[in-house]
Amino acid sequence: MITYIVRRTLYMLPLLIIVSLISFLLIYIMPGDYLTRAQMNPQVTQETLAQMRAAYGLDQSVLVQYWLWLKQIILHGNFGMSFETMRPVFWTLFMGGRLMWTIIVSLTTMLLTWMISIPLGIYSATHQYKPSDHTLTFFGFLGLSIPNFFFALVLLWLLVAVFKVGNHGLGVGGLFDNRFIAAPWSLAKFGNLLWHIWPAWLVIGTSGMAGLIRYMRGSLLDTLSLQYVQTARAKGLPERTVIYKHAVRNAINPLVSMLGMSLPGLVSGSLITAIVLNLPTVERAFFSALQMQDQYVIMGGLLFFSLFLLLGNLIADILLAWVDPRIRYS
Amino acid sequence: MKKTVLVLLGLLLVFSALAIAQGYETMPADAKIIPLGQADTPYADAQPGVRGGIFYCATISNPKKWNDVTAHETSTTQYTGLMLEGLISTNPVTVAIEPELAKSWDVSEDGLTITFHLRQGLKWSDGEPFTADDVIFSFNDLYLNEDVETDTRDILVLPDDSYPVVTKIDDYTVQVTTSVVFRPILNSMGANILPKHALAQYVHKLNPDVPVGTFNSAWGLDTDPSELVGMGPFIVESYTPDQNVTMRRNPYYYHYDPNGVQLPYFDKYVVLTVASQDVSLLKFRNGELDALGIRAADVPILKSEEAQKGFTVLVNPDLPNYGTSWIGINEDIGLAEGTHDNERALFRTRDFRAALAHLVDKQAIIDSLYNGLAVPQWSPVSYLSPFYAGRDYYGGPVTEKDAVIFEYSLDKAAELLDGIGIVDRDGDGWRDYEDGTRVEIELNTNAGNTVREGICLIVADRAAKIGLKLNFVPVDFNTLVNKLFASTGELIILGLTGGPEPNNGANVYKSDGGLHFWHYSAADNPTEVEKKIDELLDAGVSTLDNDKAFEIYKEYQITLAKDDLGLVYTVNSAFTYAYYNKVGNGNLSSPVATPGGGGLADICYFK
Repeated sequence: MITYIVRRTLYMLPLLIIVSLISFLLIYIMPGDYLTRAQMNPQVTQETLAQMRAAYGLDQSVLVQYWLWLKQIILHGNFGMSFETMRPVFWTLFMGGRLMWTIIVSLTTMLLTWMISIPLGIYSATHQYKPSDHTLTFFGFLGLSIPNFFFALVLLWLLVAVFKVGNHGLGVGGLFDNRFIAAPWSLAKFGNLLWHIWPAWLVIGTSGMAGLIRYMRGSLLDTLSLQYVQTARAKGLPERTVIYKHAVRNAINPLVSMLGMSLPGLVSGSLITAIVLNLPTVERAFFSALQMQDQYVIMGGLLFFSLFLLLGNLIADILLAWVDPRIRYS
Repeated sequence: MKKTVLVLLGLLLVFSALAIAQGYETMPADAKIIPLGQADTPYADAQPGVRGGIFYCATISNPKKWNDVTAHETSTTQYTGLMLEGLISTNPVTVAIEPELAKSWDVSEDGLTITFHLRQGLKWSDGEPFTADDVIFSFNDLYLNEDVETDTRDILVLPDDSYPVVTKIDDYTVQVTTSVVFRPILNSMGANILPKHALAQYVHKLNPDVPVGTFNSAWGLDTDPSELVGMGPFIVESYTPDQNVTMRRNPYYYHYDPNGVQLPYFDKYVVLTVASQDVSLLKFRNGELDALGIRAADVPILKSEEAQKGFTVLVNPDLPNYGTSWIGINEDIGLAEGTHDNERALFRTRDFRAALAHLVDKQAIIDSLYNGLAVPQWSPVSYLSPFYAGRDYYGGPVTEKDAVIFEYSLDKAAELLDGIGIVDRDGDGWRDYEDGTRVEIELNTNAGNTVREGICLIVADRAAKIGLKLNFVPVDFNTLVNKLFASTGELIILGLTGGPEPNNGANVYKSDGGLHFWHYSAADNPTEVEKKIDELLDAGVSTLDNDKAFEIYKEYQITLAKDDLGLVYTVNSAFTYAYYNKVGNGNLSSPVATPGGGGLADICYFK
């Protein structure tokens, strides 16, 4: 198993290099560059633009730029500078606790989604084709089909225009109300954080619940039709024990590997919600780099997301082997 | 022993707290008094206020750095502009030039030397004295230093490609000498002054221990805010990405109100970073923001809540924002490739461009795309500029008596096209060139800008009514800019930023300008009209007499609008703003200055 993990980890390196080359070429193919906006400024002369282009190395050919960037990484572990902030790319992406907030928001949302979806999936499967099954499925799909940005905006609008939370001194969007922004941590501040974070749980959570409920439902239904479940029932075991001790434990296997696969979703996958709800996330920093064509920050972000994707896959495989004794890697 | 240490530590804390809180002991003799509420001043409609409170406003993007010299965009300069001041400034109400760090200046007889007399006894926000050395440092070691990456250098360059020479006469006198008379230099000398004592260490020229270019990354977002020093009303105190920037009062700010109260009135000035304008609108309605720049589309909903929630929605359909919005007609289309001969000949015909100008249904654009909150535009100079040709005299009232108006008229457009032989030759309803091929022109704008896309649709629709085929194709912004600079676009709808100084458009309107994108070949072979424009622009900067310059720029604007027509102007959005009534002096808001836009930040207060 250990050699397997080491081998998989080593495979990641060439893969990441290929990803980086393709990404670099794609950024190059994108029309314009970081200085395109400055070009439209009447006060900036062509000489200044040419100077800046040379200073940023944008006057070189794409392969030379890529090679210089790669060389810096190999020799100095330097992933380049952001043109905008003149600071290292990962600092620009992660500064001010963005990485921490991203993980806090995603992890709590994921936990909640799983804690709600799995029981609902089980309930749905055990009440197949009953009205309650249809109702759950309906609401699950409703959450899936409402666009996140729209849901988030409607939610904020409801809070402001209908419930008028402003009259109670409560704010919307962001992490804290104005009065808590600079205040030291306290119970009140933590409570305020919860007030600001629940819309994110609701918006991101509902979009992922339908999938999980259906997976759990389908998987459990498959299991319930297996012979060992019939055997268990025939032995006269109570239905509760049959479902939870025998069926669910096997039915949950595919979902455990899904858990690993959702690792990349922890750092990416909530961009639109983060923009509307004004949450500080790595993805927003990446998105604004994309808009400004701050190319090394884009590269840094892509590598970071790719790494999480690869790690997520690896963890999914490991988890699968761990929960299912039939699977062995060599 | 332990006790003594503790006592000493305690004392140290008390003293350091005092050091932070202290300001001037008495009002400096050279303080700048803002005549709030005094008749016959620009501030007659304002009130002296009281100190205290935290002001909240919002912006779309994060700052990129705290370095004003190397900053390119407003997401950074909205903060650095509050931290710093220049020798002179523009009055937030009248836009006239007025003394700032310099209390006065003299211009020599020949107009080549300006002597600035600095205010004395002023201090930087950290308590260090402000002197002529800071001015010399800012110009000679930063703006005019080739190692420093700054676009301010581009507004300091003189017509003969030299730069002004800035010299120190004594601690409070600075002299600027130019090789030729250059009217805008006074304005350019208003560039922000930076603290030598805090920044000299990053400049290779002054501190050879640091590599060349170190200054370009000085004062970044990772700099401890306590190191940031300024002369402006507020200094950055803390920054949380995607959340907010908090600025604190500068204890040594030198603006005072008529009652001798030191400005700014607000204790803190907080700018929330809100990426979505829909959400900032909600936050304003929720009472979380004290003021907000709003879109025309937001006006109806805010108006309906105005009385109930106690805020004011400022809507002035006659007061457009800075900037221009236009259809560019590429007179060089296909020149390099030897193609598009028909189009090129057509685009180079003045009457075709005039016909196009008659096709811009400005009223329809204003009504359907701007909720009525925009004004027709005809001049390259912004409406708010004292040099705007619609004014009666320099800085005078706008009467538009000399405006060049191409009123919306299908008949006139059709007549002009008929006159140049662009008529329907095969009876298919579309106009053709002389050789019988159909006139078919591509009209581009940047995809996603719904207003510009709407303008394209309206213009193409009106053109179709007289048989002129315009095909609207939206393209990505960067692709569009590339098309513009490579001269491969046909008709392009875009906009440019503007300001009070007409010469800032020289790069666009001069025949050899870097942004003369509708006719780059004019650099080698300008038309008679373009030669005249070049001459007028040169004349406009070589007189120091503003009234004389006004007449020159008036002729320049009329010539451009009537005869050149390389750009056909569309409309300009009107100023819209909202603030809670508790914000005193918010009524002075204009496109030039708002409480949340910085310009009024020091004189607004909570009632």
